[in-house]
Amino acid sequence: MDLHIEIITQVLFWGLYTGCIYLLLATGLNLIFGVMKIVNFAHGEFLMLGTYITFFLFVMSGFNPYVLLCASIPLLVVIGVIIERLCFRPILGTGKLNEIFVSIGLIYIIQNLVARIWTDEWKTIQSPFRDISVVLGVIQVPLDYLIIMAVTAILLIGLYIFLHHTWTGRAIRATSQDRKGAMLMGINVERMDMVTFGIGAALAGAAGTLWAVSGQVFNPYMGSIPAIKAFAIIILGGLGSIPGAIVGGLAVGLVENGTAFTLGGAWKDAVSFILLIIVLIIRPTGLFGEDSE
Amino acid sequence: MIPPFLQERRYQFAVLAFIVSALLPVIVGSNQYYRTVLILMLIFIIYASAWNFLTFSGQGSLGHAAFFGLGGYFSSLIAIQFGFPLIIAIFAGACVTAGIGVLIGMTCVRLREWFLAMVTFGFAVIIQTLIVISQLSPITGGWDGFAVPKFIPSSIPGSPFIEYYCILGIAAGSILLFHLLLKSKIGLALAAIRENEMEAKASGINPVPFKLFAFGVSSFITAIAGALEVCHFGYISPEIFGTDISFWPIIYSITGGLGTLAGPIIGTIVISLLWEGLNALGFTYERFIVIGILLILTIIFLPKGLVSLPERLKNLKRIKTGDEK
Repeated sequence: MDLHIEIITQVLFWGLYTGCIYLLLATGLNLIFGVMKIVNFAHGEFLMLGTYITFFLFVMSGFNPYVLLCASIPLLVVIGVIIERLCFRPILGTGKLNEIFVSIGLIYIIQNLVARIWTDEWKTIQSPFRDISVVLGVIQVPLDYLIIMAVTAILLIGLYIFLHHTWTGRAIRATSQDRKGAMLMGINVERMDMVTFGIGAALAGAAGTLWAVSGQVFNPYMGSIPAIKAFAIIILGGLGSIPGAIVGGLAVGLVENGTAFTLGGAWKDAVSFILLIIVLIIRPTGLFGEDSE
Repeated sequence: MIPPFLQERRYQFAVLAFIVSALLPVIVGSNQYYRTVLILMLIFIIYASAWNFLTFSGQGSLGHAAFFGLGGYFSSLIAIQFGFPLIIAIFAGACVTAGIGVLIGMTCVRLREWFLAMVTFGFAVIIQTLIVISQLSPITGGWDGFAVPKFIPSSIPGSPFIEYYCILGIAAGSILLFHLLLKSKIGLALAAIRENEMEAKASGINPVPFKLFAFGVSSFITAIAGALEVCHFGYISPEIFGTDISFWPIIYSITGGLGTLAGPIIGTIVISLLWEGLNALGFTYERFIVIGILLILTIIFLPKGLVSLPERLKNLKRIKTGDEK
């Protein structure tokens, strides 16, 4: 096998694009973990729901799917808030791992609700730019991929501005640093839980839409594996650390595509877990995690 | 003359349940559908009890399908490749799986809950990948899997009945094993570790060997359940490592009642009956939704599972009648 510079750049580029999807998922998951100290295993279901909502709007209106993000993101916020109120608020502070068990229930409910409505056949969203590709140095890339990276960057910048320059954003960060302290400062921490969960769900939904627009096929069961990987990413990058989630997301995207290229596609899912297990054997609390005892 | 242990309520229930389950195939008769449901129920009772045993040591696994599938693969491969009788092959396969379980346990003992959940889930994915990669597919059959000899050859007259009673015996045996283990000093040590690992350490219990022991026993019994399942269907494929297979024992144990021996049994029976009933009514997707809702409702409103329901009702009645004691 001869390794050309074009192929390597191509693989790197693909990795970057996959990484964008993962980092959106992981950032939302991490935001939720930081504030509520729970892990939402059903996060991939928000990704899938986002895809289907965009798909539904796309079929109904025929608008550009990127524009439809403006409609599906607020919808996902609402769905996230409802699910937080109904399922996660009652178990906050109860036994260990209860949120994971609730998430398992949610996975079954959401997946099959979607399958009931839209059947479980594979579907696609046709991007209006699907035939256009751009020459970038030595490689040729589809325009969609570039748009996806740009949208991801815009979403992250928006999140940064929200978290650092608005009252609600600051309150969310305060809650995530010290829940009791935030409560004493007059912050309604339960409202912060709701807002955070909504934002997390919306980021996941955006990730799903972007994934589908780039020409990937999707069905109601698409969400589980990316969500689990996002979970692995936040463990790698440190629970609660958003820069960690971004770096981890891109790294896992690159590693995954690198392995798929060198070892074959069958290893694609396993490699992120092997990475995770090696890291956890060396550092049981994650790469940037603090020692608990 | 009644043996003294039979005077306790729970043992009376256990014996009664055993007698009823021994009579069931006679009542059901030759209806193959009901018999399959009963056999699968028994297999999943074994599996859910084994998963539940791990939680007694304070560890939760999201990837028990790894052991379920490995038990199936090792047992059937030993039986086919080396020509051993199936009983010995199942036992040997379970031993190998228990060894792997201890190895996986060694990577997990230092981890906190979420990390442990992730790592066990990851192992299920990794093992599935190893089974399907091209280097091993001449032996494992890749994604297609391979045919497995039946547990009891169907040429023997009355084979379905013999199969049922064998599996019933194994189920009763493994539950008895868990009961004896939990009553012994090991069970006490496990409870101490589960409640507070630091305090257990302070009182001279080294948690590592006990946690590994729990992993070993749990994966051993899970492997037996997996081997029984593939032998029942006469077929094995890598789909046995799927997330569904990992999640079922969790759903069963939690709806039944986590941390009790009866919980997984009751949970398996209730959920399987509900599942089959909804299936018979033609609700393909709705049955998942119903079970998901049931799971969430149980966690929120009945944290100790269905086994605590009679007590809860009794308490409710007492509060209503104002009979405070």
